[in-house]
Amino acid sequence: MKPAPFHYVRPASVGEALSALAEHGEDAKILAGGQSLIAMMNLRLVRPSALIDINWLSDLGYIQHQNGALAIGALTRQSAVEASPEVAEACPLIAEAIRYVAHKPIRNRGTIGGNLAHADPTSELPAVAIALDAIFTVQGPAGRRTIAADDFFVGMLSTALQPDELLVEVRFPACAPDQGWSFMEISPRAGDYALVAVAATLQVQAGLCTAARLVYTGVSDRATRVTAAEQALVGQPANEASFRQAAELAARAVDPSSDFHATAEYRRDLVRALTRRALLQALARCQKGA
Amino acid sequence: MDQLPVTLTVNGKRYQRSVDPRRLLSDFLRHDLGLTGTHVGCEHGVCGMCTVLFNGQTVRSCLMFAVQAEDAELTTVESLGTPNNMHPLQEAFWAKHGLQCGFCTPAMLLTAKELLDNNPTPTREEICEAMSANLCRCTGYQTIVDAVESAALAMQGGAQ
Amino acid sequence: MNGAPPVKTHPTSMRWIGQNMKRVEDPRLLTGRGKYIDDMSVPNMAHAAVLRSPHAHARIVSIDATRARALPGVLLVMTGAEAAEQTGPLPCFSSPATTQYCIALDRVRHVGEAVVAVVAESRYIAEDAIDLIEVEYELLPPVVNPLDALTSSGDAVLHPERGPNNIALQRTLTFGSYAEDMAGAELIVRRKVVWPRSGGQPMETVGAIATYDEGNGKFTIHANTSMYNYVGWLIAVSLKVSASKLNLVPTIAGGSFGSKLFAHKVPVLAATLARACGQPVKFLEDRLDNMMSCDNHGSDRIYDLELGLMRDGTMVAFGMKVIDDYGAYLQFGVGHHGNAAAQLTGPYRIKSAQIDLTAVFTNKCQQGAYRGFGSEVNNFALERIVDAAAEELGMSPVEIRRKNFIQPDQFPYKIPTGNVYDSGNYEAVLDKALEMADYDGWRVRQAEALKQGRYIGIGLVSCQERSVFSSTEFWFWNHDPGFALTSSPESVNVRIDPTGKAFVSLYAPFWGNSPETMATQIVAEQLTMDPSDIEIIYADTDQGLMGTGPGGSRYTVMIAGAIGGATLELRQKMFKIAGHLMEANESDLELQNGRVSVRGTDRGMSIPEIAMQAHFFRLNLPDGINSGLDARYTYDHPYTTQPSADRTDLGVFYPIMGHMCHIPIIEVDIETGRIEYLKYVAVHDCGTVVNPMTLAGHVRGGTAQGIGSTMYEQFYYDEQGQLVTANFGDYLIPTLREVPPNIEVGHVETKSPFTEYGIKGGGEGGRMGVPPALAAAIEDALRPFGVKVDGLPITPVKIRELIRAAS
Repeated sequence: MKPAPFHYVRPASVGEALSALAEHGEDAKILAGGQSLIAMMNLRLVRPSALIDINWLSDLGYIQHQNGALAIGALTRQSAVEASPEVAEACPLIAEAIRYVAHKPIRNRGTIGGNLAHADPTSELPAVAIALDAIFTVQGPAGRRTIAADDFFVGMLSTALQPDELLVEVRFPACAPDQGWSFMEISPRAGDYALVAVAATLQVQAGLCTAARLVYTGVSDRATRVTAAEQALVGQPANEASFRQAAELAARAVDPSSDFHATAEYRRDLVRALTRRALLQALARCQKGA
Repeated sequence: MDQLPVTLTVNGKRYQRSVDPRRLLSDFLRHDLGLTGTHVGCEHGVCGMCTVLFNGQTVRSCLMFAVQAEDAELTTVESLGTPNNMHPLQEAFWAKHGLQCGFCTPAMLLTAKELLDNNPTPTREEICEAMSANLCRCTGYQTIVDAVESAALAMQGGAQ
Repeated sequence: MNGAPPVKTHPTSMRWIGQNMKRVEDPRLLTGRGKYIDDMSVPNMAHAAVLRSPHAHARIVSIDATRARALPGVLLVMTGAEAAEQTGPLPCFSSPATTQYCIALDRVRHVGEAVVAVVAESRYIAEDAIDLIEVEYELLPPVVNPLDALTSSGDAVLHPERGPNNIALQRTLTFGSYAEDMAGAELIVRRKVVWPRSGGQPMETVGAIATYDEGNGKFTIHANTSMYNYVGWLIAVSLKVSASKLNLVPTIAGGSFGSKLFAHKVPVLAATLARACGQPVKFLEDRLDNMMSCDNHGSDRIYDLELGLMRDGTMVAFGMKVIDDYGAYLQFGVGHHGNAAAQLTGPYRIKSAQIDLTAVFTNKCQQGAYRGFGSEVNNFALERIVDAAAEELGMSPVEIRRKNFIQPDQFPYKIPTGNVYDSGNYEAVLDKALEMADYDGWRVRQAEALKQGRYIGIGLVSCQERSVFSSTEFWFWNHDPGFALTSSPESVNVRIDPTGKAFVSLYAPFWGNSPETMATQIVAEQLTMDPSDIEIIYADTDQGLMGTGPGGSRYTVMIAGAIGGATLELRQKMFKIAGHLMEANESDLELQNGRVSVRGTDRGMSIPEIAMQAHFFRLNLPDGINSGLDARYTYDHPYTTQPSADRTDLGVFYPIMGHMCHIPIIEVDIETGRIEYLKYVAVHDCGTVVNPMTLAGHVRGGTAQGIGSTMYEQFYYDEQGQLVTANFGDYLIPTLREVPPNIEVGHVETKSPFTEYGIKGGGEGGRMGVPPALAAAIEDALRPFGVKVDGLPITPVKIRELIRAAS
């Protein structure tokens, strides 16, 4: 399948990109990594009237560890994040999750910003962003504004980005030295979109859980935090029994749908299994760090 | 939409062409430059047949437009060797029966090249991780992994 | 045995056969210089794309292509009605045939059926034009469930000219004293199993470049199809031209697995368009074209099985009621059930059998050939019920098989259906597999693991892998046989040039099998030549004699026979010439190391020397010898007989019988339903092996495809007949991670008494045995839950469902 024709624009600055967006309107699409977009264009599932190719905006590609946070430019390639020692040190949850994103050639082109802005409900990074309380910086004609991760994701393939805005940076607070983390995913085959994935963080003091994050992908039209399960852990001993309980709570709290690849019941099974396993792994990592 | 100019280097040779913006990189390489060693299997980025190296990194050329390769250095299978002068990877695939129909072979070779360029002494698990990016319908993959393992050793100067 | 050929004696030591020779095909493939169909172009070539039906079943009311025709760069738009003015129905092997056109005429019968074709300067523009075409449809009721097809009526009937419902064929064949034997059985085990359609899905799709030369009224079609014996002239018939006005030129194919066996839609369409638009036309299926409308959907069956046994485990009779969903058209008739009948009763001494077959039409893509051609499904059914019987009798799966194996001294063995198995040693294969797998050791580990709450499963199957099909299987099921084909030959031409190089012409394509390597090794063996002096060429249909091509694991056996015949002629001629020139008796001559020498002396002539004489020095040659050194030989199926008129005996049609034992050892994660491979052993007996390395390739590759069909792949149609799994994102082909990291391959070699060198075919490989082996392993792992695996694909979702239902 070949894509339908489009007008091609190659802006030399973010300002030019925004102008192009404004000029071409709602039918225009930003071309970053293109790994989701071009596939859909080839299948003629989407037919943007204009493509605004931001791959030359090299200022938007960076990884900086500053002031207790990891600032990642939206155009940073996923494989650069995967290979980055700064990411591995400051936000190991990202480093672990990113290996589940498709395959290396996709990650060599795909960008952090592009993946997050696409907001596929089975995508890994949105769950990680919510688990880490990431802050999204977007730029529009009126200037820049920031959006909290949980507010950024609105629904299926839908974010808080306005049609005339561009995501420019995502900032992740560095993870605390005594914080454990785990990202686990089950997909139909290696490299496929998740059936269910969990991004988990855990803090433990004197054998008791003091804080936890449990964010799931594949259970709703967007990445979903299950606060009921998180809260059930706080104050509980950090052990298998508590984790099993939290897992059960999470499995009951989510309301996934059925599709060709998995039933709702199966997704709940995965929530149950992955929650317990992720918490166990996060615990082991807390203990290592401590 | 009018054609746009694109200038790029492929296998060390510089090309200047005019293309439709929607011309896929895979079609450009194959039909505009005549480099048909890169194959097309699905055009939706799943199978990996169209893999080339873009500034040394594997990419799926069906998920790029030719215009995006402006100023880039591309490597396709044709650069690895000729029948009388094969790259060690090609020799290894030949010796280990790492191909049957040959359709995925260029993709597998370039994927292996990216791996070995960055990690000359991969473990078998690391080889599996890298090679799992592409589909093969013929071999069952095992001899592909054997071939990459053997090539890595040969390229380090070791015994097979 | 009636009609059996004489038993051959085979050489005990061989120089080239049995070697892991590196493949002749590889250098060009490795260097990206293989010429697949889409790598080729001809001057002034245009490109085609096809508008496909979005509906499963509908009448085509009107087509408005005005805007498409006006689009710059568009050369031609062709509807079904326009195509039918010059191109007739597509070739069809079934009797009665189903009428199918390369572009649907007035009705579409499956999602994806071609409705309009466009030719343009580029594929991009052709697809733009398709977007501009408006088609009006009148929807007809879609038939999706094969059980519904049994009672369809009125507008739901796909081919009303055939009858009032969607039953394509209904027939029961009984072999031996089935009813009696079942009545005498002490135990009857029953099982229902479901095998849904999956398909070969090679990485390369089907493509053709058609050129119509108005100067001589001749078509030249480059295409990646096979079966030149049939496809050339049948395409000519569709195109309404004389067979002499069509030359089909083979191109190498990027995989087939049966799907390119008889690729006719694409070449017929390309040729029709080329003739109409006055330019060469390339039509290459893209992946969506291929998934929706190729001819390679596999078997799609519901079985009700019964196996009659005695309490001591002796199998007596095996019967089935099977419903097979053929989709919207027939291609090979119900030949897939003919194929299954070749090894219906497996490796067991079952006395009688019965098949009650109902083939139905539904609004899906048609079935074609997929690695196994229906026998792999029978293997699944048989092995599942054998395992069920073992469980009911409290016997181990090993014990019940061993007890019932046909014994080595019973071959050639005639099974109830009438087919013959040429040779076999099933216990040797089983024992080797058990040893390689450390079966007993794993049973102990399994028990230990269970105590720790881990679920390890061990599967074991003994399956037949028939090779070298005979054409009778395509028609003996038909009530009216129609074209009762009995030939399935393979030809080769071997020519030795004046410098002593051998040119070997094959009339079959390269698909990923290794025809050039096989031919090289066999010619080298026969003529004691070095492989580097042998050149392989692919002939087109203009030059071709008879070639059936790879399929049914036939090619190596058949080409060995053809080469045997051709090289014998060449040897005889060389001996005559050399004997004459050296003034020696032919009976004193021997051929060794490329030289014809006088035994016990150092006098001799090399092949190049003889060849030079043969080509250029007629006056040196003995009387009665023509110039040249060239032989063409057509090798027919070595052992095939007619079925009886009442079909109680189907004759001999697939006697070269290989065998395999697969033992997968897996662990099931009962929380997620996912499985992990702990060990995988596959022992295959394909008689004499020409190249063990390439055979192991088919075993492993076939195993990977078998895993696909068992656990990941399905062409799934919803209630409206929409193909849900229509791209590579949803149709899940196994990646490296879904296949065992180490498939341990063992070989046993029980030679065939009827083939050259005792070779048996092995190309269908692991796919013939994997599905029941994995199903057995999963059942075994989940035995504490009482889970039964009766349907495919067995996905983690299903495994969880089965566990939940059992708990």
